[in-house]
Amino acid sequence: MTAARIVTRASPRSLLASPSSIVSRPVQSKSFLSTNGRNTASAAVAISPHEPEYEASQHSNSDKAPCRPTPLSAEQRRFLDSALRVNQAGELAATLIYTAQTPQLVQSHPQLRTLMKHMYDQEAGHLKIFNELLAKHRIRPTVLYPVWKVAARTLGWTTAVMGREAAMACTEAVETEIGDHYNNQVRVLLNWARDLEARGETVSEEMRELLVTLRRIRDEELEHLDHAVENDAKQAKPYEILTNVIRGGCRTAIWISERV
Amino acid sequence: MALPSRILRPFHLPSHLRTIPTCARLYHSYDHPPAPPYAPAEQAILSAAITHIPEHGFTQTSLSRGAQDAGYLPVSTNLFPSGVFDLVLFYLVQRRLGLGDAIATEGLDRVWEERKVGVGGRVRGLVLDRLRMNARFGVVGRWQEALAIMAQPSYIPASTTELWRLSDEIWFLAGDTSVDTSWYTKRASLSAIYAAAEVFQTQDSSAEFRDTERFLDERLGDLRKVGGTVGAVGEWVGYTASSAVNVLRSKGVRI
Repeated sequence: MTAARIVTRASPRSLLASPSSIVSRPVQSKSFLSTNGRNTASAAVAISPHEPEYEASQHSNSDKAPCRPTPLSAEQRRFLDSALRVNQAGELAATLIYTAQTPQLVQSHPQLRTLMKHMYDQEAGHLKIFNELLAKHRIRPTVLYPVWKVAARTLGWTTAVMGREAAMACTEAVETEIGDHYNNQVRVLLNWARDLEARGETVSEEMRELLVTLRRIRDEELEHLDHAVENDAKQAKPYEILTNVIRGGCRTAIWISERV
Repeated sequence: MALPSRILRPFHLPSHLRTIPTCARLYHSYDHPPAPPYAPAEQAILSAAITHIPEHGFTQTSLSRGAQDAGYLPVSTNLFPSGVFDLVLFYLVQRRLGLGDAIATEGLDRVWEERKVGVGGRVRGLVLDRLRMNARFGVVGRWQEALAIMAQPSYIPASTTELWRLSDEIWFLAGDTSVDTSWYTKRASLSAIYAAAEVFQTQDSSAEFRDTERFLDERLGDLRKVGGTVGAVGEWVGYTASSAVNVLRSKGVRI
């Protein structure tokens, strides 16, 4: 499945120029969605082609007098609470994995210096975004914060010791899981937006910004996945075991962090 | 599934709180502000009841008087399944929410900006504000009754949750943005300090609760010392470990 995913992936470069706001450039955000369908072959990501409709009708609603928005339901708040907590933990782990991998990789493969720095910088940017979101929306960080720190450093260090291919396979496995994870969140937010539209309410700025942020971050994560594959992630030995173990670990960590 | 909820049943939280899990403060939305925590009738009765606390304490009498003042029959205190504990909790919730309102109305954050008050100073100020509210509403003399009610086993979870929420509110209002393990330690230590200071306050007969203020400053000072030591030790360990790794790497060891 991973192979299919990689082969059918659109060039990530076109996605990097994320629109500052969905409303102002609805056409671009549409292309976001269509690539979404192509990114992941899994049936779960089948998104209907007319998703951004709510953005278009946003224009007509915007001149009406604003009414008090409906409070989020407890279930929605719980979802956002655990989703953003997991995202923060994930980005923290990602920065630490790259930090642990970089010295050894760069020592034996100096040409990887710019790539590692590029990926690290993006992850550090994501972590900053989620740290701010957690503080702003008063979400507690995961209880296992120190555990994930140790686990991520260990994972990064171990795969780097195993060599360049293993390190890249690690990136591939992690980013595959993370890409799926962000896709799920984007899908849920889009469903909420559609429900709001159906009730004739406007989608709040807060939700729209979150959606744009999540999509941009997801695309950057999937870009890392491409870089990993370009750098012979598939040649890692033993590829299957390594990626499956790491992906299983990621899923477990996500499951736990959603809860505690 | 039914069994655990049956066991957990003894907490008689007010209806509006029952839908919220007891320990988690969930995603706080700005564009979708949550509904007010109390229904209008409950709000009216409980607010009126609070004015009777200095005289009648945290008792059923205060609740009934409150109901009468608000234009309801005394029997409408049936609205509150946990009786006087609902009154205690209402008081705590209102005062907690009042902290944020006070900042907004008094323009406290502007004052903080101008005087360059750090997070620690803001926390101290907010805790003092909160303690002074007890004096302003005349509940200091009655607070031990409230503590006794809160200490009843079935009310302990709701009481500690509310204490945690107050602590969370203070750190949030003070502008603390740390979202790592210190998020927990900060809230836990402030909860402990606040609870101790509040108990101290009930015994304090000094003018304007000067002794309580001093007590609070000592506790916050202790916390700063412990926190500073732990931080310094952690920094030293991290620095030593990374230097050791770098020395080995410079010797060509592949780690």
